[in-house]
Amino acid sequence: MAGKGRKSARDKAQLEFVSEAEELLERMRDDLSALAEAHAQGREAQPATVNQLFRSAHTLKGSAGMFGFAQLSELAHHLEDVLDRLRMGRATLGRPGLALLDESVSLAATALEKLGRGAGDETLSDAISDLVGRIAAFDATPQPETGPALSSLELPAGLLRALTEYEEARLRESLARGRGLHLIEVELELSAFEETLGELSRAILEVGELISTLPSPGAASDSRIRFLLLAASELSASELANRLELDVSAVRPARGQGAPPGRAPAAAGAMAPSETKSVEGEAATLKSLSETVRVDIKKLDELMNLVGELARERAALRALGVRLAEERATAGLARELDKIQRGLERKVQELQAGVLDVRMVPLRQVFDKLTRVTRRLKLDLGKDVRLELRGAETELDKLIVEQLVDPLMHLVRNAFDHAIESAEERDRAGKPREGLIRIEATQRGHDVALLVRDDGRGIDPDQVRASAAERGLIAEDAQLSRRECFDLLFLPGFSTRSNVTETSGRGVGLDVVRSNLSALGGLVVMDSTLGRGTQVTLTLPITLAIVQALLVGVLDQSFAIPLGGVRETLLVAPSDLQRSAGRELLNLRGEALPVLRLAHEFGLPLPAHDQKQYAVVLGMGDARVALLVDRLEGQQDAVIKPVQGPLRAVRGVAGATELGSQHAVLVLDVSALVEDGGYRREGPA
Amino acid sequence: MNAEAGRSWDALARAAARAREVREEATLMRDLLRVEVGGEPYALPVERVREIVRLGPMTKLPRAPELVLGVISLRGEIVQVLDLRRALAAAAKPPTRRSRIVVLHGESGDIAGWLVDAVTEVLRVPEAELTAPPGDAGELVTAICLRGDRFVSLLEPDRMQNLVAV
Repeated sequence: MAGKGRKSARDKAQLEFVSEAEELLERMRDDLSALAEAHAQGREAQPATVNQLFRSAHTLKGSAGMFGFAQLSELAHHLEDVLDRLRMGRATLGRPGLALLDESVSLAATALEKLGRGAGDETLSDAISDLVGRIAAFDATPQPETGPALSSLELPAGLLRALTEYEEARLRESLARGRGLHLIEVELELSAFEETLGELSRAILEVGELISTLPSPGAASDSRIRFLLLAASELSASELANRLELDVSAVRPARGQGAPPGRAPAAAGAMAPSETKSVEGEAATLKSLSETVRVDIKKLDELMNLVGELARERAALRALGVRLAEERATAGLARELDKIQRGLERKVQELQAGVLDVRMVPLRQVFDKLTRVTRRLKLDLGKDVRLELRGAETELDKLIVEQLVDPLMHLVRNAFDHAIESAEERDRAGKPREGLIRIEATQRGHDVALLVRDDGRGIDPDQVRASAAERGLIAEDAQLSRRECFDLLFLPGFSTRSNVTETSGRGVGLDVVRSNLSALGGLVVMDSTLGRGTQVTLTLPITLAIVQALLVGVLDQSFAIPLGGVRETLLVAPSDLQRSAGRELLNLRGEALPVLRLAHEFGLPLPAHDQKQYAVVLGMGDARVALLVDRLEGQQDAVIKPVQGPLRAVRGVAGATELGSQHAVLVLDVSALVEDGGYRREGPA
Repeated sequence: MNAEAGRSWDALARAAARAREVREEATLMRDLLRVEVGGEPYALPVERVREIVRLGPMTKLPRAPELVLGVISLRGEIVQVLDLRRALAAAAKPPTRRSRIVVLHGESGDIAGWLVDAVTEVLRVPEAELTAPPGDAGELVTAICLRGDRFVSLLEPDRMQNLVAV
């Protein structure tokens, strides 16, 4: 009985782990083949590739361990170990070593596949421990540790201390190979430095290696930041400057190519001892400074809470002002207070916008992942499909973007797997041989809409209806609109049946897509034309952190409704309401809206039927529903918090918020209510 | 250089952790929060108790099982409050001035509040004095111990949470 919710939450987490690990392994395979290629051509392996491999193994080890997959974690641990030695220059890998790494990654992939199907990783324990033994026994040729002394380099003294162990190893390696070492000094706009620095790093990678990037003191103004880049390249300093489109003076050799250290130009050698000391200290502190740019989203949440509280305090100030204005004696003071209060309000709003802005990230992150998955699917399924992505610059809250990966991945996989026909079938249908999946993101007010469209075989609504009736999900003679038919595909009992998958052209797990979206306060709607293709529209709020909310009342209880989901409010008389086939309808300027009575939905005592009620018209995407409440109580900023406790979810409740005086107010889940309103078969009794 | 410093810190941390383990093995004492529900003494593991609060304004949670009394705001955090009386099949009774909400850490970092009739004291009980409950003690009770002439029943927070099926 109990613990079901927790178990499914764990299952979900494990699923997330599997998909994350899949991606890691995929990247590791790519990296390994790059290493193998370099080895075959007798080139030195790209240090960045080895380092990335190491990090992937490290991440895999951590998350596998966290989810209790001890065997997989153990395997990743040994992989990490070998790769660490490799990247630190303490080992070189020949063909047998590469083969061993390759085998490890393949075995990890097999283990993962088993996990994905719900089997434990114990089943492979023999194979894994065998491989772990071979990795441990593998004697990677150690390299002599004695490299050239780093102290012979013309580097600011503090720089060496700021290098990580890995960076230092790379520096030694470059020295040993006799490559030129260069110090590049740039000053960048703080607002865009990450991008510019990224471009610069890529340009350096084309002609050599970037060993370290260090923030450096002495920027001309507060809005600018200086960086010191240590790069190894076969090019001379002036050639490098040219290549990077930098001023010649920005690049100076730390050791000219092949030249003894003593012949370094005066600029670098002129570092006076007194100066050295201060640089040393600053380089060390600035290094840690650069890491504080990354912020835990939880801290932003806390900041957001504070802003919310600030907004509440301001509201209290305003209320005080209103009271003061009522007294003749204090009316003057009230006006002044009002002015200050308005100024404060503006600042609070700016602060709020600022914090929200920090949380925003472009969808590009998700799109990049989709591109990778598509590339892989193309190879695996041998289908020719083009993925078109539009609106990558559309910004969403970081948390939402992360939660979006799975649903989108799901939809793309389904379209790939089931919707897009084989090239021959497409030929016969007169379609281009290459299939098309297009994802288009657009911002619409406080929502972002994501359209996932394919030009595949499409779905027949009548067939969906028939299958649903066959399964007893709907009555044999149920009258369903086109949209309601497609909506059946999102029912849990429906989409998991494999034979439906064949006939519908849509795959498994659409119910998962829907529940993921609901958790984000979003909505998913499908439409399809047989033979032409299918379109799924995901509608999501831009942020979950703070919302303007409409407060409504039913009996003695208040509820908050995110204003983004409210289209309008109106007073309705009982005569505005009508019944049709068991549903209650509201006539809104000639349009029939389904009616939900909040009291009825939430099992509260119903008010007398002849009482006047307010209708809050809720909208999500194109769907709308009229929610009937007793009172409208005003607007307020609300920080939506999850409801903690053993009860996992209450349908229709998105969370709660505290509105002063420690009183918790439930926040309604607009998308769930809109869904319920649209598809309810029975009205209130 | 950094790496060397890192290693020595690691060593220190490991040594400290070892020392802690050894200490814990030597003293097998359990700290328990004693509460009263329906006139009977019960105990909760102290390490699972986050805080104890007085009864404040509570908001009803619709569509929830009866065990869930509602939600409260703990300095902005919204927490479900559950009825320990009902969980332990004690007769319903309105809360009194001695009623408290014991906020427990859940398994997954969540917290939950449990309404009890009173919080009386913290007990230090040697592990050896905790004995298995008789067969019909109910699934929430994992052990009992004799204090004076009364048996105190030790409750298992995870099983309490599991009473609420989703």
